[in-house]
Amino acid sequence: MRRTRNMAVVALIIASVALVVVSLVGGTERVDLGQAWREWREGLPPAQSPMLGIILDQRLPRTLAALIVGCGLALAGAAFQAMLRNPLAEPYTLGVASFGALGAWTATILIGAYSFPAYLLGLPTIQLLAFVFAELDIIIVYQLAAHRDRISPSVLLLGGITMGMLANGGILFMRYLADPNRVVMMDRWLMGGVDVLGYRPVLTLLAGVAPCAVILLAQAPKYDQLGFGPELAAGRGVNVRLLQATTFVVGSLMTAVAVSVVGTIAFVGLIVPHIVRSITGSRHRLLMPLSAVVGGGFLCFCDIIARKILPGETPIGIVTTLLGGPFFLYLLLRRRFTDWDA
Amino acid sequence: MTATLRAESVSFAYEPGRPVFKSVDASVSGGETVGLVGPNGSGKSTLLRVMCGLLRTRAGGVLLNGRPLSSYGGRDRARRVAFLPQAVNPAFALSVFEVVCLGRYPHMGAFGALGPRDKEAAERCMRDTEVDHLRGRDFLTLSGGERQRVLLASILAQEPEILLLDEPTSALDIHHQIEIFSLLDRLAHNRPGGYGILVVTHDLNLAARFCDRILLLGLNQSMLAEGPHDSVLTEPLLSRAYGAPIRVSRHPETGAPLVWAEAPREETGEKGDTPHNCRGASQHGGAP
Repeated sequence: MRRTRNMAVVALIIASVALVVVSLVGGTERVDLGQAWREWREGLPPAQSPMLGIILDQRLPRTLAALIVGCGLALAGAAFQAMLRNPLAEPYTLGVASFGALGAWTATILIGAYSFPAYLLGLPTIQLLAFVFAELDIIIVYQLAAHRDRISPSVLLLGGITMGMLANGGILFMRYLADPNRVVMMDRWLMGGVDVLGYRPVLTLLAGVAPCAVILLAQAPKYDQLGFGPELAAGRGVNVRLLQATTFVVGSLMTAVAVSVVGTIAFVGLIVPHIVRSITGSRHRLLMPLSAVVGGGFLCFCDIIARKILPGETPIGIVTTLLGGPFFLYLLLRRRFTDWDA
Repeated sequence: MTATLRAESVSFAYEPGRPVFKSVDASVSGGETVGLVGPNGSGKSTLLRVMCGLLRTRAGGVLLNGRPLSSYGGRDRARRVAFLPQAVNPAFALSVFEVVCLGRYPHMGAFGALGPRDKEAAERCMRDTEVDHLRGRDFLTLSGGERQRVLLASILAQEPEILLLDEPTSALDIHHQIEIFSLLDRLAHNRPGGYGILVVTHDLNLAARFCDRILLLGLNQSMLAEGPHDSVLTEPLLSRAYGAPIRVSRHPETGAPLVWAEAPREETGEKGDTPHNCRGASQHGGAP
């Protein structure tokens, strides 16, 4: 029993790493790793090492972006699920991702059309505004659903999905008003894509997601305590309010940074923790790190589908939505109705 | 030295101007079981949360071993006082052993790893509540009585001195109610340095049979009586507390008080909660 579980954990890790490597190699142009290695060993200038150039300039940033975003969204999903005690909670279903996107797009327009400063207090305005909007969303949704210590699962999801629709309405309105030249770029971003150019976006992602991931991982033993409700956890010495504030701020920051760079990528935070939980059980000390790893692998996998299997270069957000939507419905169908009494 | 948890003239209000109770005293010490009883809305559960430090009082204080409870850190407190809320269910599947190990949280290091000492403690607590044969089972597949025993094991795993239990038998049939109360009785009395147990219950007969002392909260926001069951479970006191006629006789075998409520005789447009149609209350002045 324990043995099969450990083997499944190892298999998941290996599969995730393999997917990352495949994502590095596979693409519209074939990549020969051996040749790239030789080019690197000989230290040739970039002009004479085409294979290495493809890997370093195109594939690596893209794979890294998928990896970081996948990690971040999966972790945010696991943390929201633990905090709200609801396996259907994740950045997209709670509206956090869409509000983050609305914030990022508002900032882009403000900077572009109204010469708003690109940096505020030393932080990039796009990420900052994405974070503020995302944080606002989670606070509103939580206030809607929480009464004293109880959180109504149905109001939580209805509120989250409605807020998401509201944000999407706002984004569509801005798209309608936008300069036609920008609409193509905006559409591309709206559908979600990890086809980043160069390492600047990767660094932004890393700077936003990595510290947040460390903070959330450190809360794992506390999330275990919340499994039996906030009162039992508080009785055991967990500062539930602090944990809640940490989860909401850090989870929405992580989501906002990811969304502001790659657009809305739905359901990663739903699918990944669910698969991992079916193997590890609900102990977050194992569930959360493994979700991070599998999340990275999963988004690389979606990127492979987007590039290789679907026609052209399909945006990755479309892939995750098409996979995640039915999965969400499946989880909804499988739930017992008694779980919905709040 | 036996541990003592004492609430001294505490008052609490969720909303200003509408106190749940005022100037209430309550205490529990190692080696005794204390029953906290009273009608719905008298603030039993609230008092339990105040005594556990989950709710802060406006007036009065709670002392643990003579020191203010608020001066203890959260986990420090949890190693001395354990709290089991009413009817808790897990959001995600967990095995019985995992549930019991959750109780080790106040003893864990920063990374939440379980050492051999933690596992030993969990094993011991599962034996104490007779659930060790269930260890691999999914908690959600257990019966109500089994769940309560597992949850008790999980709070015992905190290695506390005082247990605060909020209606641990409310969802159980009479057989399992007796089983849980016998277990509490053993935990408090069967060894030197037994747990001090403060238990909220609606079942006055169980409280009479198993509790060393009984605290009776009334609807008038105060503690009406405190002491052994003979002095607390009396018709005038209970009728006043519940605002309805309550009868007390003797259990034919144990000799403990046997309590029941009389059915309302007249048609009333209002809820029986108000002391308005109650002879007991009017005789004793009743609630303001």
